[in-house]
Amino acid sequence: MEMFNYYLKLSLRNLTKHRLFFSLMIASLAVGVGVFVANIAIIKSMANDPLPHKSDKVFNVSLNIWTNDNPNAKLLHIMRYDDAMHLLNNEIATHTMVHYQSQVYTRAVDSKSLSRVQAIVRATTPGFFPLTDAPFAFGGAWQNDRAQQVVISDSLNKQLFNGINSVGKHIDVDGKPLEIVGVLAPWQLKPKFYQAAREPFTPTDDIFAPLETAMDNEWSVRVQNMSTELIKTVSDSRGKNAFFLQAFTQLDTPEQKMEMQNYLDNYSDLRKEAGEYLRANDNRLLDVNQWLEFNKVVDEQMLAFGLASSLFLAVCIFNASSLLLARYHSARFESGLRRAVGARVKDLFYQGLVESTLIGAMCAVLALVFSWVFLQLSISLFPALENTSDIDIGLIVIAISIALISSFLSMVYPLLSSCRQSLSTVLK
Amino acid sequence: MLKMNNISRIYRSDTIQTHALRDFSLEVKAGEFVAVTGPSGSGKSTFLNVAGLLDGFDQGSYELDGVNIQGLNDDQLSKLRNEKIGFIFQNYNLIPDFNLFDNIDMPLRYRGFDAKERKRRITHALEQVGLASRADYLPSQLSGGQQQRVAIARALAGEPKILLADEPTGNLDSLMARQVMELLHKLNEQGSTIIMVTHDPDQARSISRNVQVIDGQITDHSIYAPTNEAIEVSA
Repeated sequence: MEMFNYYLKLSLRNLTKHRLFFSLMIASLAVGVGVFVANIAIIKSMANDPLPHKSDKVFNVSLNIWTNDNPNAKLLHIMRYDDAMHLLNNEIATHTMVHYQSQVYTRAVDSKSLSRVQAIVRATTPGFFPLTDAPFAFGGAWQNDRAQQVVISDSLNKQLFNGINSVGKHIDVDGKPLEIVGVLAPWQLKPKFYQAAREPFTPTDDIFAPLETAMDNEWSVRVQNMSTELIKTVSDSRGKNAFFLQAFTQLDTPEQKMEMQNYLDNYSDLRKEAGEYLRANDNRLLDVNQWLEFNKVVDEQMLAFGLASSLFLAVCIFNASSLLLARYHSARFESGLRRAVGARVKDLFYQGLVESTLIGAMCAVLALVFSWVFLQLSISLFPALENTSDIDIGLIVIAISIALISSFLSMVYPLLSSCRQSLSTVLK
Repeated sequence: MLKMNNISRIYRSDTIQTHALRDFSLEVKAGEFVAVTGPSGSGKSTFLNVAGLLDGFDQGSYELDGVNIQGLNDDQLSKLRNEKIGFIFQNYNLIPDFNLFDNIDMPLRYRGFDAKERKRRITHALEQVGLASRADYLPSQLSGGQQQRVAIARALAGEPKILLADEPTGNLDSLMARQVMELLHKLNEQGSTIIMVTHDPDQARSISRNVQVIDGQITDHSIYAPTNEAIEVSA
């Protein structure tokens, strides 16, 4: 312990004596690590598996149901109301849900304030909750398809009811009271795989409402949609060629998946017989990660920037290492003198280890500060990143490791090379 | 104390082999003060480096205080340097940003002494060289002669078996050189074994035993009487 304190004292003395040199070196490495970690944090969040324990069992259902035979048409990920109902009514899957996104203005019915808050609505079916593992803080899902009931998010509950158990209370949407039957616990899917096709990194939806209720109330469709005939209102979409619903299904076994695939193909064949579904069968069940990849959730520009930041990190490491190498080479006199008066090579190694650890630790702390700053800067420039990125424990460990290893390796090489030299060449 | 038999040291480059020492044999007994003289490049510093375990040798045998040097590893050589040898360099080799106390403290740290023992030894060593009141000074605040006395104190603090001095007055003016030589003589009188490389014939004559080295070999071996008259002995 006494020698450790001695080495620490020597290291601090060195750092103080060469403070400009070490400041430049530490800053250089910390900037490189900071940019790298911030960028990896964004990419890692984008590439995150939102349902790691069952992402290979939850599938997006895409039916090849274009109404013309355009060979260049891409896979269609939205389906008609009637197709969705057929899918919901089969009993193959463990859970199935269909949904569309809407937006409303709402307020608590009991509130004295008349001001309303903007709320994103997920019009869906009860299967949504077990399929996405959405956690309930209070209550549960609705039981009736046409119930005037909703589930609200933790965020909206805090906004309208100060976070209390609001089950049984009512919110007002367009003059209609809707009973709250469930309140979610704090929850954020990263990314929101069920809307991978558009803005998958937005916050958790505010209101979850029964699909039929949302359609009956004419809550507008705020996602990609198309139709081949005149649709006057949302509720008018039933039974028509209006494509606006997305479907996901949980198939726990390969047999279930095979059965579902057969079901979809048979369903397509039936539609063909009815004069619909003009294209060849290409009905797909893409699991969560395949679905995220299909929608290119990890932005290619971010990947390019990630590569650039990796190269920048390499330059910073080489730069910092060359500075440290020069520093340790210039300290050969002192290490030679220490060996001459009795220090073993291992004593010098321990001293170097303490100094390089100290430098590495300072680099790591500064690098984490820079990471956070760069991340906030990226978010301010690209607000869409706001909900994507966290510097988690894994990234903190990476940042610390890079700083420590760079610093350590820069110490070891000149130390070993100086130890190979005869002491008589260093001292006179 | 020191016994070298037929030591050879050869420096090799791609095209040249230089025999810095050849068949070099010397025995120094405890309590002796030996001056090693010779022209530049004669091998006297190489001898001192080999003697001080700062450099290896190619042939021959070397015993220091009864320990055969051949085949010792880095740890063992470091321990020997630390416990048995005190170095006094021409350039003093003090660490400029350490005060005198910390400079002298350095070898004692590697010896494993506790703080109390280190302080006792450092204080005593500084008293021996007359700098006890300046323990907090930096080397740059001292004259050359004083710096060399600090280097001597550093060498003495470990209470080594032998002091090796490589032209310790080479960078000093005559007054300071005389002070340093007086100190070395005093230490020798107190029982220290000293081997000193020097260019200065006057200094060499003031030392009881002279060894002259030319081309890596001992060519002259003289023992001087206290009257400073040289008595030739066989090399």
